[in-house]
Amino acid sequence: MRILLFAHLKDAAGCAQFELNCGDVDAEGLWRKLMDVHPGLAHFRHSVRLAKNSEYVAADARFTDADEVALIPPVSGG
Amino acid sequence: MDITIQITNAAIAQNTPAVARSGAAGAWAEFLGLVRGEENGQPIAALEYEAYSPMAVREMRRIVEELSARHPCLAVTIIHRIGIVPVGAAAIFIGVAAKHRAAAFALLAGFMDRLKQDVPIWKRRALAELPPPGGLAPVAPATPAQPASAGEVLALLERICRPLEPERVPLADAAGRVLREPLCAPEDQPPFDRSSVDGYAVRLDDMAAQFRIVDEIRAGDWKPCQLQPGEAVRIATGGALPGDGLQVVMREDAEREGAVVSVTRRNRNRHIRFRGEDARAGQILVDAGTALQPGTLGLLASLGCVRLPVTRLPRVLHVATGNEIVAPDESPRPGQIRDSNSTLVRAFLGRRHIAPVQLRIPEDEAAAATAIRNPQSAVDLLLISGGASVGEHDFTLRLLVRLGFTILVSKTTARPGKPLIVAQRGNALAFGLPGNPLAHFVCLNLYVRAALEAFAGGEACPGFQAGVLAADLAAGGEPRETFWPARWKFTGGRATLTPLRWSSSGDLTSLATANALIRVPAGAERLQPGAQVEFVATEIMA
Repeated sequence: MRILLFAHLKDAAGCAQFELNCGDVDAEGLWRKLMDVHPGLAHFRHSVRLAKNSEYVAADARFTDADEVALIPPVSGG
Repeated sequence: MDITIQITNAAIAQNTPAVARSGAAGAWAEFLGLVRGEENGQPIAALEYEAYSPMAVREMRRIVEELSARHPCLAVTIIHRIGIVPVGAAAIFIGVAAKHRAAAFALLAGFMDRLKQDVPIWKRRALAELPPPGGLAPVAPATPAQPASAGEVLALLERICRPLEPERVPLADAAGRVLREPLCAPEDQPPFDRSSVDGYAVRLDDMAAQFRIVDEIRAGDWKPCQLQPGEAVRIATGGALPGDGLQVVMREDAEREGAVVSVTRRNRNRHIRFRGEDARAGQILVDAGTALQPGTLGLLASLGCVRLPVTRLPRVLHVATGNEIVAPDESPRPGQIRDSNSTLVRAFLGRRHIAPVQLRIPEDEAAAATAIRNPQSAVDLLLISGGASVGEHDFTLRLLVRLGFTILVSKTTARPGKPLIVAQRGNALAFGLPGNPLAHFVCLNLYVRAALEAFAGGEACPGFQAGVLAADLAAGGEPRETFWPARWKFTGGRATLTPLRWSSSGDLTSLATANALIRVPAGAERLQPGAQVEFVATEIMA
């Protein structure tokens, strides 16, 4: 799956996006994978919302390799 | 209800929409959110915003739809600016038309609250001073009714295309990418005095003929010691010298017997590569703007630079439109042709390490607009391969306008590639490429290449190069500037060009062998062998 990072998460991971192979996972499984690849993201986990294919997901959402998953840190538009 | 939502890199300029003046509305409430000259008590010059645009647009629309159920309105226009927004400029505009002011005010206030909770837009950082602009520079809308010359299109692209942001990539993925920060030597190169030959290290001031071998140093060993007169150390090429004031006698100039070596010949050459001889710590080794070559990468690997700051690759969406095209592995029915342009575009971009998202869609404006809006990441470059006819050109024009693009060029005076379209929307650049394969090839190699090079931000590449014709070129007095397919090679230290047979811009056979385009001036009748010409090499030659 394609992982998109924004704002300070880009700095934490050192990139704006990357590919991750997860199979079929829930949010917990996805985070475990994410933190394996970029341990720096762990610090932000509590404040980040996940979006799948441009929509916020519910707590029980599942993610597959075909999805585009965005890590959304607290927003500050306007 | 009419909802218009836009995320843009350009300054916000908003006029009251028609619905607000139509008589149906009793209120038009506007809000502009401005950048203040202070952030956390510090004076600032600008704020930089970032958005996850496709999702931000969706979220804003969803919020407006939810709010309008409680506060019925007639029209809502929202423009959020991203990128660098200077102090005093608007970061967001909202206009709400409603029958009564209460609904307009309520929706507006409600929207701003929700925006700050849910819409993926971020204030990235405050800037103490304004940097030089990057990405696409805003341009005043041109009057694209006038055809532009190839030179004018290239000048326009050079003016508006700026380098994309940098990203860090692993060393292994960095070949061909453009370095964005100078890389400096972290330590002296070489980091210690090392032997440049296989031999024996002895004291420079010790002119004895025989030495006792006290140690052996291989490359990678680190064995500092103080050599005494009469002592030698066996040392391999690349080995670190054990101390200062030494000389290495080549193995060929000495004879060894057990632990004793006799020097048969000795000259002044010390056979040492001294510490810092190649580069001193902190010295710039590779300049920003360098396209990374294998040799450069080898150097950087030796320095332990494993994640390199390079310009990110552009996100490219390529759309082939047309009812008559089928995939290359399908059999065309009567009236259909195989889509060769998608392959051409993919190969052209692939050589620049860019993997485009590609779509093949029928000529249906609404369907095409939906398909193009769908991709989940914002694109930097949208390429639309249309047909060659006037109708197909108009289709691409209408499609781009519908997608919110400003048309900068709608046709050129050059041949082939007259129906070229160049358009801009915020930070996205779009090309409408004429459908004929040769015209496609020419437009990719002239214009799209210029845009990609500007996006990459490398050292300026020579656009046109000078060459000499190797054969006749019968241009036939064509009144338009022409880009003629040719093969070029180096002969006797200069570029010579053999024009290829070319009858029409649909000609695929010349395309198969061309590696250059000769720029034939307008009105040229016949160019003789030996004539000086300008050309663009379409094949990258080292």
